[in-house]
Amino acid sequence: MRKWTRALALLLAAVLALSLGACGKKADEKVLNVFTWATYFPDDILAEFTEQTGIKVNYSTFESNEEMLMKLESGGEYDIVLASDYIIDIARGQGLLMELDKSKIPNFKNINPTYQNTFFDPDNQYVVPYSAGVPMIIYNPAMTGGVEIKGYEDLWNPAFADSVVVMDDARNIIGITLKTMGKSFNETDPAVLEQAKEKLMTLRPNIRAFDYNTPYNLMISGETAVGYMFTSQVITALNANPELKTVYPAEGVGFGIDAVFIPAKAPHADNAHAFLDFILDGERSARITEQTFYGSCNSAATPYITNPLLVIPDDAIRSGESIKDVGEEATALFNDIWTEFKQS
Amino acid sequence: MKRARKGRGFPAAGVPFLLWTAFFVAIPLIYILCMSFMKRAATWGVVAEFSLGSYAKMLSPAYLRVFGESLWLSVLTTGFTLLLGYPFAYFTAQLSPKRRSLALLLVIVPFWTNSLVRIYGWMILLRSQGVVNALLIALGVIDTPLKLLYNFGAVLVGMVYALLPFMILSVYNSISKLDPSLTEAARDLGAGKWRAFWSVTVPMTRAGIMAGCVLVFIPSVGLFFISDLLGGAKTMLLGNLIKNELLTARNWPMGAALSVVMMAATLLVIGLYQKLSGEKSLEGIV
Repeated sequence: MRKWTRALALLLAAVLALSLGACGKKADEKVLNVFTWATYFPDDILAEFTEQTGIKVNYSTFESNEEMLMKLESGGEYDIVLASDYIIDIARGQGLLMELDKSKIPNFKNINPTYQNTFFDPDNQYVVPYSAGVPMIIYNPAMTGGVEIKGYEDLWNPAFADSVVVMDDARNIIGITLKTMGKSFNETDPAVLEQAKEKLMTLRPNIRAFDYNTPYNLMISGETAVGYMFTSQVITALNANPELKTVYPAEGVGFGIDAVFIPAKAPHADNAHAFLDFILDGERSARITEQTFYGSCNSAATPYITNPLLVIPDDAIRSGESIKDVGEEATALFNDIWTEFKQS
Repeated sequence: MKRARKGRGFPAAGVPFLLWTAFFVAIPLIYILCMSFMKRAATWGVVAEFSLGSYAKMLSPAYLRVFGESLWLSVLTTGFTLLLGYPFAYFTAQLSPKRRSLALLLVIVPFWTNSLVRIYGWMILLRSQGVVNALLIALGVIDTPLKLLYNFGAVLVGMVYALLPFMILSVYNSISKLDPSLTEAARDLGAGKWRAFWSVTVPMTRAGIMAGCVLVFIPSVGLFFISDLLGGAKTMLLGNLIKNELLTARNWPMGAALSVVMMAATLLVIGLYQKLSGEKSLEGIV
């Protein structure tokens, strides 16, 4: 018993000594703690960063934005966080973001102005936009029988009975219904949402399948004539069948931006600034875009990007709308409508 | 005397088992039960505040329809597996021992493959440019591909396919134990083939039928990926709803409450099984 106590005391002392020692030199450690979804920063980019700067990258992952926020709130020591717009807005409100020192990020000028002055960073103080997720319409001209497709409203066309695939997502699909009614993706008025529900129910006969992760399979195999899915999925479908056509819906796209920020308590803020400048380089940013398959937010990258779908027209973004957090009550309402719609 | 007996009822050897049960069964269940009475937090997790909201919400028509549809699909699945599984088990039991093992091996081997992979196999068979449609078109039966995938029928096929082995094995288990001299006696006493089957074989194998039904019915309530893959996520079942509440809507209390209801329903079915089969132990289904 005695032996154990002594061993334990020694161990504790050792741990204490080590952690104290670590505290002293943290800021100039050659380390960068990155926190985002798995594989969202491509491996070769991270390896190149380490090679050029000697800074070791520790990559931690989260499953959802909400999990990220919780870990950040409870004092997680991260230097670089890549997450979605709406959650960054919440984190900014809580003072969890560090103001960027732009003198350390010369490549900041490369950012496409279309993706700046956003709702989650109105004065461009805190974030570097990383990629844009823009769902669009894709159709198979061989199966649509010459029916012209311009926007969301066309998904309701009776000609497409049982031949449409849409993502299995409440906010997006109720959102496009709202757009056809001239309302916002972020509508919160229960009366308007009730009307949207009624309109949505009439879409049901056209739905062949709901698919969030692999909707391109249905377009490739000729199972569906029309689809509404993310750009990355549209590209996968086009790679398999170049005959497919794409449309930025006339009513306006509903998009989301994923952006990078430095947490207010980042232990290695200098390394984080160096990393931001590194990924904002045009050629490198293009390489990231071609690997992640999301829309580019970097003007300097445009000449290097070979797939035109990865450079979303500025007009589509300007006429579009960010899908934001609508608060607890409206979120519950969206989910209820979705359950009812799927069960109908 | 009394003391000694008390001591024997709680031997030290049982402690690891009790701890295991406490940690991996009792505590998680209590955790789920408690969570089902809490409220959803704004961004992540739950707020420890008592609420019956989740249970009240289940009474809304949309949720009741989910229960109804789930129940209907489970009943159909159980019915069809019995319809297919019983004859299969019956005729397998009549085979020579060598062929019998082969037949059972053929039932069990696909079972070792991940069920997700096997369901993808069904997708390849059923899709519009898939094997079945190609075959029918080649044979000149149809001109344009049939829409075989993404409907209720496809989900039912997948469910029956996935759960059939449970039915076959439990029914086979009781048929193989059946003494053939009993049916022979019935025939000797003048019963026809069918009569002997219905009034001797079926009642004698009732335990196996019941066990098979329970083994098919219970998992069929919770399987969600078959409806997602073969039904195009158009049929929302209880399993899908729980997954949706937990992962997409992030309404953990609602997901927990639905899980509690599902477990209660499962217990009810097992209770029914015990009552109807007259078996006190659950040996038939474990």
